[in-house]
Amino acid sequence: MASTANAACYADYKAKRDTPLRLHYGVAEIEGDCTVANAESELPERLASDEWELLAVVSVFDEDGLDERRANAGDYYLRY
Amino acid sequence: MPATTISAIEARRTGTRFVYFAIGAIIAILLIATAFLLLTLPDANAFNSRVEQVFVENSDLTGQAEIRLLEILAQSGTAFADTLANYRMVISVLLIFATAMLVAALASLVMLVALNRRMAQIEQSGIQVNSMILSREEKTVYLNNMAFKLTEAAIETLGVLAEARMDDEMLNGAEIEGMISGRDASDCDEASGATRIKRLRDALGNQMMTELLVKNIARKGYVLAIDKSVIKIV
Repeated sequence: MASTANAACYADYKAKRDTPLRLHYGVAEIEGDCTVANAESELPERLASDEWELLAVVSVFDEDGLDERRANAGDYYLRY
Repeated sequence: MPATTISAIEARRTGTRFVYFAIGAIIAILLIATAFLLLTLPDANAFNSRVEQVFVENSDLTGQAEIRLLEILAQSGTAFADTLANYRMVISVLLIFATAMLVAALASLVMLVALNRRMAQIEQSGIQVNSMILSREEKTVYLNNMAFKLTEAAIETLGVLAEARMDDEMLNGAEIEGMISGRDASDCDEASGATRIKRLRDALGNQMMTELLVKNIARKGYVLAIDKSVIKIV
């Protein structure tokens, strides 16, 4: 996947909250390197502000991948 | 050389130790079973973590409806976990009952064995007097509800002996004669007391043998009052 330094970078991820178990699939913008590892280090902090716990980062992508994920992410589309 | 005698006290001691050991073993086994049962029952989070795993492992489970379904699945699992907590209660109560039953069963078993042993001893030792009722008016003594008619003198002798026994005393012939005749023991003859005892033994022994061994059935004849299988003639 080609990614330039100034192109926007996004990641889709899965997160959960305990008692009762709540799950969500979301899309978030990533600052810095456009890699899964970077997303995994960035996202937990942001999600923790609402007590969500990051389960897994599915993939990273640029603007082209946003539209196809908008419907699935729903409320969590670019929320965190 | 093997020992030919056994000590009853020793047997009882080992018996008691065995009972305590057995009760301890029952309780220990059931405690282990309880712990095993309670620890191996899945807890509420088992369902949640399984649902979480399904969510993470399937990359195409990202639709909102699918996620909602997964959440519902986890919630029903949690609800079932509450039921499991009830099961735990029921299981532990049942196990406590089982323990109590087993201990009770063991105790009765041990008691039964002890009773059997006691019964065997009683059968060996012949007549065992459980009750003795002395009726002066009827001139009768009831031994284990067998009635024996005695003469007035014999009843007096037996009465004196019974009173002495109740006071844990022993009487010699002169004292017996003294108490019955109302004189001082020093004025009485040892031999006359012995005669009274002999007469009492004769009267009682004769009737007791009639009752227990040589029965007299009216207008029919005489018969041994024992089981024929126990007779052996050598």
